[in-house]
Amino acid sequence: MTDKFHSELKELKKGVSDMAWFAFSMLTDSQKAFINQDEALAAAVIARKDQIREQMVTLEETCYQLIALNQPVAKDMRVIACSLKVIAASERIGRYGKSTAKIVKEIAGKPHIANMMSLPLMSEYVLAMIDDALTAYDTENLRKIDGFSARDDAIDALRHSIFRESITYMMENPKTITQATYYIIIARYLERCADHACKIAENVQYMETGERIEIK
Amino acid sequence: MSQSIISTKNLNLWYHEKHALQDITMEIEPKKTTALIGPSGCGKSTLLRCFNRMNDLINQVKIKGELCLDGCNILSDDTDVVALRKRVGMVFQRPNPFPKSIYENIAYGPRVHGINDRKELDAIVEKSLRHAALWEEVRDRLHESALGLSGGQQQRLCIARTLAVEPEVILMDEPCSALDPIATAKIENLIEMLKEDYTVIIVTHNMQQAARVSDYTGFMYLGKLIEYDSTTTIFEHPKQDLTENYITGRFG
Repeated sequence: MTDKFHSELKELKKGVSDMAWFAFSMLTDSQKAFINQDEALAAAVIARKDQIREQMVTLEETCYQLIALNQPVAKDMRVIACSLKVIAASERIGRYGKSTAKIVKEIAGKPHIANMMSLPLMSEYVLAMIDDALTAYDTENLRKIDGFSARDDAIDALRHSIFRESITYMMENPKTITQATYYIIIARYLERCADHACKIAENVQYMETGERIEIK
Repeated sequence: MSQSIISTKNLNLWYHEKHALQDITMEIEPKKTTALIGPSGCGKSTLLRCFNRMNDLINQVKIKGELCLDGCNILSDDTDVVALRKRVGMVFQRPNPFPKSIYENIAYGPRVHGINDRKELDAIVEKSLRHAALWEEVRDRLHESALGLSGGQQQRLCIARTLAVEPEVILMDEPCSALDPIATAKIENLIEMLKEDYTVIIVTHNMQQAARVSDYTGFMYLGKLIEYDSTTTIFEHPKQDLTENYITGRFG
């Protein structure tokens, strides 16, 4: 394989990383906007949605071209395979950021219910998982994704507890139904984002070692 | 791996002072295609030529170690080399048909081995050409010169010539290096069909070809067999860094 291919592969990985951190920033900002009820920030997140799609299309196209023109093998092939998965997962994470930002606009002006249950905590955990998964992709350091299974379990438990708590609030006071329903939806988005972090982690493991693992 | 058809144990070969093969230990599975890859001068063709003792034809070659075909050491002095080469046929880099008719090219081997009956020879010629996926293209001109065939057809004729003596193993030393992509694809399809009945061992410089046609791949470097595993393992996640670096083009 030529030096040109290897430098293009490096560029691809850099581009995928940029896209993934861009998606991460969409989710991070949407969480801030939600917690602080910051409509301006929410609008800024929504405005980024076209950009993430464009990045996805361009990067996927680059992957296909690299495969078609170079028939990569071994780690070169695994880097491209992993990158395709990271692109797909990042696009989903970015879109969940956008969907959360839309909810911020929907419930603008209505105060939060008490402590927002465990949503800020869940948000912090999920963002940390995505951060670690993307850092593992960038640095090729698998230690970052150790213990992902237990972390994913903790996220699932939080989602469940937010669901139960929301139901309780709704039963006690029907005026909270709109807010609490959105809490359930956002908890669901966060839980899906954690799943995408796990998918990225599984693929980074494959990229590095060729070994297929399942994080569940 | 099931019972191997060819096995080597600590096989060493010297060309005069040059230690060209170093402690090669490998088992070749029957009715599978095994590819040998590696940079020029790594010993892959030398190893291939050991399998039917073609290195005997080179001066100052010394071989040590074990090389068994079906459990019998073929390096021993009492090996009948003619009989060995009937069991282990070979196809070379450039097609090398005899300057005879297509028919005579195929019938030559069986005649050497004592078959002279015309009907029997006709049957062998047809069967061999069919096996080599050449019959339909040459059935109407069997008695024309083989040299009038295209390069790809000539190479398939050489494969048919090898098949005519019913070998068990077919060695191919870069069989497609002189062919265009269409002729190459035909030979690759043929290799896929041949492994139903034969064991194929192929040396190739084209790594994608090794990946496409073989079940097992051996990577050689400086006379050593660095890694030998299923082709999917070698090309998806090789265990040795040297293999990884070679197949991803980081040296070579």
